[in-house]
Amino acid sequence: MTMPIGSIATGTPSIADARPSPSAGAAGKSSGPFGEKLTALLDSVDESAGQANSAVGNMMDGTGDVHQAMIALQKAENSLQLTVQVRNKLVQAYQDVMRMTI
Amino acid sequence: MSTLTAALNASATALDAHRARIEVAVSNIANAESTRGPDGTPYRRRDVVLSASPMGGDTFDTALGKASAVGVHVADVVEDQSPFRTRYEPAHPDADKDGFVSLPNVDVPEEVVDMLGAARAYQANLQAIGLIQDTIKKALELGK
Repeated sequence: MTMPIGSIATGTPSIADARPSPSAGAAGKSSGPFGEKLTALLDSVDESAGQANSAVGNMMDGTGDVHQAMIALQKAENSLQLTVQVRNKLVQAYQDVMRMTI
Repeated sequence: MSTLTAALNASATALDAHRARIEVAVSNIANAESTRGPDGTPYRRRDVVLSASPMGGDTFDTALGKASAVGVHVADVVEDQSPFRTRYEPAHPDADKDGFVSLPNVDVPEEVVDMLGAARAYQANLQAIGLIQDTIKKALELGK
């Protein structure tokens, strides 16, 4: 049930590596490859899902409050939605490029 | 850090704080007739001291006192030092030599009003969280 969401990123290497070549040469820049950003985003979704999980667990065993659990769940949903939106944009851009006639 | 998430966290701290106020009011009501506590004296009415705490840690804005999202935390729970109520009840085991029993300095109607206020404050913060949540959802719809 608790599959790490971060593993999705490794399943899409072609998208993750599809970055303009000039940035590949610019090593040492603060903005890393987009694939890494995506992985970090997925990791943060994973983390907030984990927090939500433990908050719900705390609520169930009486050490946490209802509002803490619900807020953790909402935060997890927010970061998941953000990731889904980023992924949608990414796939859309990829398909736009693929459809391009040369 | 002035993000919607910081606002959400500020509201979350407020929920915790007002939950504490409700808890304290409930213990005051519950112990309105407790003539002995752990130390042998009657229960003393408790009060919550709330303190504003800027969200987002040690940032420049926080140091300047210009953080926009300011949360709240329970700084202290203090005991009300006003005198105990007394009631003439010579048969009571905790009665003094004149037959008076010291009762907690709790006024139940006042506690009920405090609790209503705390519950309303909690609900106001729930409403604020709902609004922030709606706003975040709307912002995510920009991508659609």
